[in-house]
Amino acid sequence: METGVNSKIIGWTKVEKEVVEKAAARKRNFEYWGPTPREARKIAVGKKKGLSDKRMTIKDAVDKYLKDGINIGVGGFVNTRVPTALMWNIIKKGAKNLTLSFQSNSICNEWIAGAMLCYPEHISIKRAELAWWGYEIIGIAPLLRYLAGNELIELDDYTNYGMSVRFKAGAMGLPFIPVRDHGGSDMELVNRGVMMKCPFSGDNTYLVPACNPDLGIIHVTAADMHGNARIFGALCTCPEIAQAAGHTIMSCETIIDNMAIRRYPNLTEIPYPVIDAVCEQQFGAWPGAVYGQYWFDMEHFLYFRSLCDEFRKTGSKSKLKAYYDEYFFGCDTWDDFIAKIVPHKKLTFLRKMDGQQPIILS
Amino acid sequence: MVSIADVNPYEMIAYTGSRVLEDNTIIFVGTGLPIIAAMHAQLTHAPNANLIFEAGSLASILEQGMPMSVGDTRAFRKAVFAKGLCAVFELTQRGYSDYAFIGGAQVDIYGNICSTFEGGTYAKPRVRFPGSGGAGAMAANCEKTIAIMALEKRRFVKQVDFITSIGFGDGSPDYREKAGVMGSGPYRVITNQALFGFDKDTRRMMLLEYLPGKSPEAIQDLVDFELLIAPDVKEMAIPTEHDLMLLQTKCDPEGFFLKRKIVDK
Repeated sequence: METGVNSKIIGWTKVEKEVVEKAAARKRNFEYWGPTPREARKIAVGKKKGLSDKRMTIKDAVDKYLKDGINIGVGGFVNTRVPTALMWNIIKKGAKNLTLSFQSNSICNEWIAGAMLCYPEHISIKRAELAWWGYEIIGIAPLLRYLAGNELIELDDYTNYGMSVRFKAGAMGLPFIPVRDHGGSDMELVNRGVMMKCPFSGDNTYLVPACNPDLGIIHVTAADMHGNARIFGALCTCPEIAQAAGHTIMSCETIIDNMAIRRYPNLTEIPYPVIDAVCEQQFGAWPGAVYGQYWFDMEHFLYFRSLCDEFRKTGSKSKLKAYYDEYFFGCDTWDDFIAKIVPHKKLTFLRKMDGQQPIILS
Repeated sequence: MVSIADVNPYEMIAYTGSRVLEDNTIIFVGTGLPIIAAMHAQLTHAPNANLIFEAGSLASILEQGMPMSVGDTRAFRKAVFAKGLCAVFELTQRGYSDYAFIGGAQVDIYGNICSTFEGGTYAKPRVRFPGSGGAGAMAANCEKTIAIMALEKRRFVKQVDFITSIGFGDGSPDYREKAGVMGSGPYRVITNQALFGFDKDTRRMMLLEYLPGKSPEAIQDLVDFELLIAPDVKEMAIPTEHDLMLLQTKCDPEGFFLKRKIVDK
């Protein structure tokens, strides 16, 4: 897509000409990194729409939907309601040449990146469309730094709104959406959006392509067996990702009765047709936080990050490999993993730190 | 009487950030010192300033303590509105966020900010940072952008390596209009040693206040471009004992941000 319209960044940028040209070619030869909006619609149309029992184990859901080369849309926001139990199972199962799409995420990305660096024949990611990959207070992400600095991953940079609204466009069945950001920044030149003159206002307006991942992975507070979901605290971009994705696996802290859902239908943030698998999994976002359930396990973030940083600095994979061998490939299920890696009294403490936030499960 | 020696650099930044914020506004905050500055403002001169956290909350009550990040569950405590990223960024795009309060690694003469990488190139960065996150969207569409930055020559540069968050671009009057963004742009840059604003006519960074005991010349030495100096340039106000007590016991009692060691890379 070439529009011939740019903001004044084109005459001011310090980004190297060859990088800008390469990015321009990527815009020109635009391809959705996942199903096109038409393909995504076709997937939706092909689904059975009755209220069926979609409960299954995470392992079975991942076996069913994980394939080489797909785009995985990752829910949550930084360290909040991150779908770690789902990502853990994806890493265990393995798949190659994956694309990740997300707004802001921490350990899900670093986990899969670390697994790739240790076992590239088992699991690999080739690119990410993203806004932010890091740990916030804990620091920048050592493995992103390693992958980007060594040109081992293709990146497509947007803002948090840009990525969120790309999922929203996907969820709306639209091919793109106009936004009031990115223009005039260097993201206008390097990402896959384009500037256009608005046919109505005449204003320069930035367009970002819809994002319809092949597979959405999200973790929510509660859902019924059909996939009607309640989320308390931040919705992040989970409803949009679930609705945009071709298929969505949803883990939840607890399964609630369908009559509870029907009692307060306004509390349903994700409607059942867009969900393909419902997996009840307590502590399914650990070491991330779930509002009203548990707080962040800061110590574990620090511990895992230190393993990654050591690898980045020394090139030695031994500690990182030992972590995956013991805690991923050495455990059968997420429950086994949690039992092995977090002392029970730590879980009790994390529950105390956030368990008092009011949520409605009835 | 508090002397400047009693105030650490982070406390100075948080206090100055607080002073800049007006009451009856909505402040879109980033993690760390912006949250602390906004909490201090709420406890003092701006009790009806309300916060947006980008994960999707408006006007929460931070009674569980300082959120460790903008996605922290605490940032949703007793909010009046709790949705997701789209909801709060759209409220902002529509014109309901007065201030963007962000950080960055580099800022330039026209208030453009880089937080994507440092050193090397975009394609092969020496240090790749997490990316824009919300900052680029906040700088585009909150009405005024306030940035917090360490005052160092390598950070205050003529032109940033990569514009992550738009300022006045190349300084031309229609840069932001041609960019298709809606906010009016850079408003203040806060450091521990100086407070900067922007000249209305040239859109260039201007020194407004400097740390007591320093001078405009000393500040200029820490900046890699020629600073404009406000005609009424003056010394920065120092927090009172009460302000310090609020910062240390109410805003960041565990000292996560205010008691950080100052690290030089």
